[in-house]
Amino acid sequence: MLGAGALACVMLAPRAWDADVMLQAARRHGAQAVSGARALQSVLGALQGRAETDKLAAINDFFNRRIVFATDREVWAEEDYWASPLEMLGKGRGDCEDYVIGKYFSLLLADVPMAKLRLVYVQARVGGPDGEQVAHMVLAYYAAPGAEPLILDNLLGEIRTATHRPDLTPVFSFNSEGLWRGVGAQGAGDPVARLSRWRDVLAKAHAEGFQ
Amino acid sequence: MSLIRQIWLLLLGTLAIALLASVSINVLSARETLQTQLRLKNADNATSLALVLSQLKGQHDLMEMTAAAQFDTGFYRRIRFIGADGKVVFEREARPQPMQAPAWFASWVAIDSEPGVAQVSDGWRALGSVEVISQSTYALDELWRGSLQDTLALAAVGACAALLALVGVARIRRPLEATVEQADSLREGEYRIVPEPKVPELRRLARAMNAMVERLRVVFESQAAHVESLRRAASCDALTGVSNRVHFLAQLRAAVQREDGHSAGGLVLLRILKLTELNQSLGRESTDRLIVSVADTLAAYAGRSDGVFVGRLNGSDFAVVLPFGSVANETALAMVALLRAAFAGMPGMVAVAAGVVETRHGIALAELMAAADLALAQAECAGPFSVESASVSGATWAGAGEHRWREQLHAALQEGRARLAEYPVVDAQRRVIHLECPLRLQLDENGPFEVAAHWLPLAVRSHLSPRADERALALALAAIAQDGRQRSVNLSPASLQDSGFAARVRQLLVASPQAAPLIWLEINETAAADQFQLMCELSRQVRACGAKFGLEHAGERLSRIEQLFDAGLDYVKLDAAVTLGVANAVGRAAFVKGLVMMLHGLSLQVIAEGVVDAQDARTLWDAGVDGITGPWVGTTGAAVQT
Repeated sequence: MLGAGALACVMLAPRAWDADVMLQAARRHGAQAVSGARALQSVLGALQGRAETDKLAAINDFFNRRIVFATDREVWAEEDYWASPLEMLGKGRGDCEDYVIGKYFSLLLADVPMAKLRLVYVQARVGGPDGEQVAHMVLAYYAAPGAEPLILDNLLGEIRTATHRPDLTPVFSFNSEGLWRGVGAQGAGDPVARLSRWRDVLAKAHAEGFQ
Repeated sequence: MSLIRQIWLLLLGTLAIALLASVSINVLSARETLQTQLRLKNADNATSLALVLSQLKGQHDLMEMTAAAQFDTGFYRRIRFIGADGKVVFEREARPQPMQAPAWFASWVAIDSEPGVAQVSDGWRALGSVEVISQSTYALDELWRGSLQDTLALAAVGACAALLALVGVARIRRPLEATVEQADSLREGEYRIVPEPKVPELRRLARAMNAMVERLRVVFESQAAHVESLRRAASCDALTGVSNRVHFLAQLRAAVQREDGHSAGGLVLLRILKLTELNQSLGRESTDRLIVSVADTLAAYAGRSDGVFVGRLNGSDFAVVLPFGSVANETALAMVALLRAAFAGMPGMVAVAAGVVETRHGIALAELMAAADLALAQAECAGPFSVESASVSGATWAGAGEHRWREQLHAALQEGRARLAEYPVVDAQRRVIHLECPLRLQLDENGPFEVAAHWLPLAVRSHLSPRADERALALALAAIAQDGRQRSVNLSPASLQDSGFAARVRQLLVASPQAAPLIWLEINETAAADQFQLMCELSRQVRACGAKFGLEHAGERLSRIEQLFDAGLDYVKLDAAVTLGVANAVGRAAFVKGLVMMLHGLSLQVIAEGVVDAQDARTLWDAGVDGITGPWVGTTGAAVQT
């Protein structure tokens, strides 16, 4: 117990993103993941000290350009699969959650505070005002508490404020606030972590060097 | 620390460690499970609550009510809503619940209910987050109960294991103790055979020890046989097997001079008349047969009671010593009648005559023999099969009636009119080994202190000998406490018959732990021959207290006591009848030497009693005795006090 506790303390200590750990992890997902990780790292490197809006734009562009949309069934042969950033980069494909997850963890690495980011379940109307309603997920950025968020979406290359996205109806939002502790302590080996998709991804991302 | 105790400590230590370890592991793993469950519950409930609150369009009252409803109907310690600006908007908190588990347990296992956090929003507007913490005292109580049950169950298992261990240890312990006891008794001079145990290592050990004991026994037996043949050669008449003249006279002298001998007795001299003529008419072989049949008749008579002994003084003369007064004449008449009947079928000239004399304690041997010879001569004159008696000058010791005697004896013991005489026993360097302390009783209030010969027979008849012996022992212990010198006390064989005697002797010894190791207790050789088991029991009790135990007046029967091998004795005092006159008889000296060697072989100390002259003493030292007592020791006057 003591050992695990000490380990937890080390894990909890704030640390800069670890390029080596990420590359190491990327090698397990193939060459595409390695090149993806290097590209992400160069983007992150360039973002140091820049304004948060720049960071949002750069990361949003990075994933929207690099990843081709594909359903989980096509990529993972599963109904619903939450891929970690490197898994997605390795495949080069992903669905809306995978984009959001990738952007979320990358922005955290770019020193955007967790409290400003939320992953949001939305209903999206596709194909005009009378279009079909589909379940979708986007990443919301709150510049200040209670402010109107900016929406990072894979359906639209441009970042817009929420009011400029009438096609999206938010349902529920969450982030990893209050969860890191548990994930840090048990890691991907914790059987409980596997019970929840979100926790599973948190653990995987953590092992891949994302904060 | 003893082997068995070490095994026990090891077993109990192992059990205790196993118990502690398994209880701790159980508690900690249960704690882990409970903590995980709590964490999951907190997280899930926080998410569910956040989902509901996010549907309430940011209506503050409704949100607070919903959260309060969840709090009131669920099992929460705290539900808190934190606004987007980080300030607490509302909060519900329960009072801490009383715990069943003790505080030390709570602080040891320290279950923390990790808060579950989820984000609440209204549309795109982030409202803040909810934080949910469930009650955890119930988990702690549950853990406490579980731990108690675990401990009980494991303690029960441990008790079963300890029981099994008890059986196992007992299985090793019994043979181990038996073997250790055998080793101990070997050191004490007892040679025992133990049953072979089932444990292989111990079995080999026990087998080896048994084999050694057996070998020693064989050696002892052959030595005993050798000594017995030496004894026969030295002290028995070659033709008849009864004592020869020298030995008989030594026996007689020892009997009348010994302090604890008999106060009165009788001597019968019996002669086969006209033996020379018989020899000529019947022939040597028939004459020898006749002599042997006379000896056998007398020996058979002697065998009937203790203290009677027979000797052949010369070709035609036999002598019988009786340990009781006033019966000699009667006995002689009976013997003569018996022989007359036996000779009835033989030619008329075979006849015997007997002379009788009453003896008393302390009488001079020459005087006694002269009187007996006179009586025999008178009988011979009186004709075949006649019996004549003579008396020895000097007053015989004749006290008052037996009843009065007994009262006097009782009173003397009761009132403590008793004292111990002290005769030194010295070793070859004249150092005192111990003081022999025979008991003297003052029977008449102003009279002299009498030696045992005067009161012991009566004491035995009145069953007072145990009390006399205990008194002697008590006096000796008191004397040792005063001067710290070793003392020996003789016990009467009759005391063995008293079932409480051994226990009381032990009590006396235990009560004086300082003096007990300086005490030497001795008992007549006849006790070893006739009451062997009782004697062994007494010996065990006495030696357990550190005192020494031995035989006195020994010699005659020693080589014929088979169990002497495992009697458990410390020393043997050789009777004056064995030691008297050894200087002048090569055969007797050889016997004593063989006897001493045999006894030394059994790790017994050997002390010669009743040594009178310096020549005998020198021969005895040469024979290897460890100590000498008797008049000679007093005369040398060179006893060194140690």
